[in-house]
Amino acid sequence: MKCPRFCSQALTALVALLACATLLHATVDESHDFAMEAATPFVEQGFIVREDYWNGEVKSGQKLMITHQLFKGNEYAFWLGTSQDGVTLDMKVYDEKNQPIQINAKADKNFMSARVNPPKTGTYKIVFELKSKTDPSILWALAYGYR
Amino acid sequence: MKSSLFIRPALTAALLLAGSLSLAAAPQGAKGVENFDPLAFPGKVVDDVIVPVPSEVFSVLDKLGEPNWQAELRKQDIPTTSDRTKLSLLFGYTVAEGFVAVQAQDKEAVKDIGHDVISLAKSLGLSKSVLPHAQAILDAADKGNWSSIRKEFDLTQKTVKDTMEQMKDVDLSQCVSLGGWLRGTASVTSVVKKSFSADRAELLNQPMLVEHFVNAISKMPGSTREHDVVKSIQKGLAVVQDQMEGAVDGFTKDAVNQIGKTCDGLLTEILAKK
Repeated sequence: MKCPRFCSQALTALVALLACATLLHATVDESHDFAMEAATPFVEQGFIVREDYWNGEVKSGQKLMITHQLFKGNEYAFWLGTSQDGVTLDMKVYDEKNQPIQINAKADKNFMSARVNPPKTGTYKIVFELKSKTDPSILWALAYGYR
Repeated sequence: MKSSLFIRPALTAALLLAGSLSLAAAPQGAKGVENFDPLAFPGKVVDDVIVPVPSEVFSVLDKLGEPNWQAELRKQDIPTTSDRTKLSLLFGYTVAEGFVAVQAQDKEAVKDIGHDVISLAKSLGLSKSVLPHAQAILDAADKGNWSSIRKEFDLTQKTVKDTMEQMKDVDLSQCVSLGGWLRGTASVTSVVKKSFSADRAELLNQPMLVEHFVNAISKMPGSTREHDVVKSIQKGLAVVQDQMEGAVDGFTKDAVNQIGKTCDGLLTEILAKK
């Protein structure tokens, strides 16, 4: 039995949609994979990686802010990853009084890491940015660990 | 007055140079280098809050002394219920208890908690996704692989929360976090009370998390928000919030006692058989 034209078009659209959804999902996961790649040397140094992480899609150059609880006495590491190539990554951390705190940041091709020793226990703001010269939007994942 | 063609580019170049010099000279994170106003933040605020697992706080307490984690284990029976709100709170409580057992390096307690996790997951209809992690907890307990057990408890909680959110049960997912946070905070206050110091007490400075839970409860559907235990938690969080806001110069022993008493009272309600 022949599929009518409408049916065939709908089927093509559905297949395309599914393919896009799979691709999007894969790249979000890949961003986390890159964040975990950044975490690898930290794990060797005794950092415990949290299984929860933040992720999403953002316009190139748009800053993102996350509020997070940190405990004085722990050393923290944040790992930002993206599956897209040619992306510049930047991250800053601010304390409760909105003052920037010293971080030790290192960037690589698809990820960056930032070490933080919180001077006080409390709420911190992690502000980060991903810039691409070619892609209008960027998929990202931010994970963290402590020791 | 118009500037000449030469002056304008020269001025611009000078300004650019001055700007780049000050940027290059400023060490990252130096005070006053960059004024940050979150209320005027030009970007996007990510609303998702990741609640720290109890072991994040426990690791600091370990550095500040040697708490007797064995004495912090409660070894309480988990009540049987079909109430999904209560089951979710109990799930969070149980996983947090697991983190205490890891800290105490108590294999038998970890195994008992692993079995409680399986039983609660079954009652919640989530055993399929939880069983592999629960089994990994039991296997790692036999080997005394504490880092692996800690990771699996974290994964178990994440799996349950993710599954609940996929099923549009965001309120239940929040209850898992709440149960865990209450149990973790009760342990912290108990350790701090036994050996009080300003550094230990400062670990209770978590106003953002309390505010997050208060907001989460206010957004829950009426049936969950009006649940007896959730109503008690809402009242209890207000008490904890007051103590945290009042601790401008640090937490007093009384404030720590009050937070501990509030958390313990709420946990008693969560663990009640009714």
